Amino acid sequence: MASAKGRLGRLKALLEEFYVSPYRGALARARREEDDLFMLFVFAELMGVPNPAAYYTLELQPLLLERFHEWHQRQGMEHSPLDGFRCC
Amino acid sequence: MLDDLLTHALLFVGGKGGVGKTTTAASLALVAAARGRRCLLVSTDPAHSLADLFGRSIGNRTTELCPSLWALEIDPDRQADEHLATVKARMKGLVHPRSFAEIDRQLDLARLAPGTMEAAMLERVAEIMALAGSEYDQVIFDTAPTGHTVRLLSLPEVMAAWTDGLLGHRQRSAQLGSALRHLGGGRVKGDDLSMLDAAEDHDTGGRDAQLNDLLQARRRTFVRAREQLLDASHTAFLLVLNPDRLSVLETLKAHDMLTRFSVPVSGLIVNRVLPDDADGQFLEARRRQEARHLEEIDRVFATLPRVRVPLLPDDVHDMDTLRHLGHTILGPVSS
Repeated sequence: MASAKGRLGRLKALLEEFYVSPYRGALARARREEDDLFMLFVFAELMGVPNPAAYYTLELQPLLLERFHEWHQRQGMEHSPLDGFRCC
Repeated sequence: MLDDLLTHALLFVGGKGGVGKTTTAASLALVAAARGRRCLLVSTDPAHSLADLFGRSIGNRTTELCPSLWALEIDPDRQADEHLATVKARMKGLVHPRSFAEIDRQLDLARLAPGTMEAAMLERVAEIMALAGSEYDQVIFDTAPTGHTVRLLSLPEVMAAWTDGLLGHRQRSAQLGSALRHLGGGRVKGDDLSMLDAAEDHDTGGRDAQLNDLLQARRRTFVRAREQLLDASHTAFLLVLNPDRLSVLETLKAHDMLTRFSVPVSGLIVNRVLPDDADGQFLEARRRQEARHLEEIDRVFATLPRVRVPLLPDDVHDMDTLRHLGHTILGPVSS
């Protein structure tokens, strides 16, 4: 009886995963796009894209340094595009 | 004439270069101080002349000139240096020491980027504006020539919109993140989605919260500055001009720009008008020319309170003359 319950529980989890995972992927992607866009705004000036508020975005950059590496790789740049941030 | 000028906690004195902004601002500040109002006189012109006018050094720190009167000449270079030093220190806490030299180089370039000085100036101006009505009864800004000032005054609106945009992205990202957690995001190890959660996995020490705090703090400053600028009971904007063609044209432009940004203009000071008793053929010709400009000023700015201040025989650099000038502008002392 107990093992039947356990099997049922596993089945439920599996089904849940089956139905939910496509949505999770879409959500995660949407979120990543938002974050990538935000990164672009913050690092725009360093990449030669005029930024109306470069002075104020500078203070955000230290907080984003760790994400910078993943970001530039996702944007199709194998190595850091910035001389100042050689993360790889 | 403009006797209600000093009822505003915040007063900006603007106009073309060389028309007498500094003298006007200083004379009003002296009268405010003489009436017992704690007054701060601030110069935002990169070529400061407050120190020259008062014949003493002032610089980037608040200096007491006489009882109830303080003066300050904003140095945007210093402000930018301090800002960049803070950013540098924060970055260096996060990266390997071998990158320090590169961080220095990168940020020293940012120091020279266009807009850096303006942003630093705005930061300082916004800080000082917040003191009006609290720390000081009266804050008077002796501003840089018109174009620069109008840009400065339009910045809070632009910057607030910009931080709003960024905060919008942060908010959407957070909403998506929370929806993701409800769907069990980040729990399943080893599937191809775990890399999509990477941003969250890396978020140690509440980076997101810090980002939002910084953006919110900026936004508050900009919005507050903007609100103060638009509040006609709190802020007055005074334009100084001379009765000559270029000065009138520039004042028209300044007035249009300020109106476009909804900053209320409170009055005009027509400075250096030839006095009636100035004699001689040359001055007579000059006065006829001037009369045309004065007419034009009266016609174009009919709705604005205007005060004519005569050209004086001597340079203005002692406190008594300045105070006298202040009384001419403000009209008979009521208090």
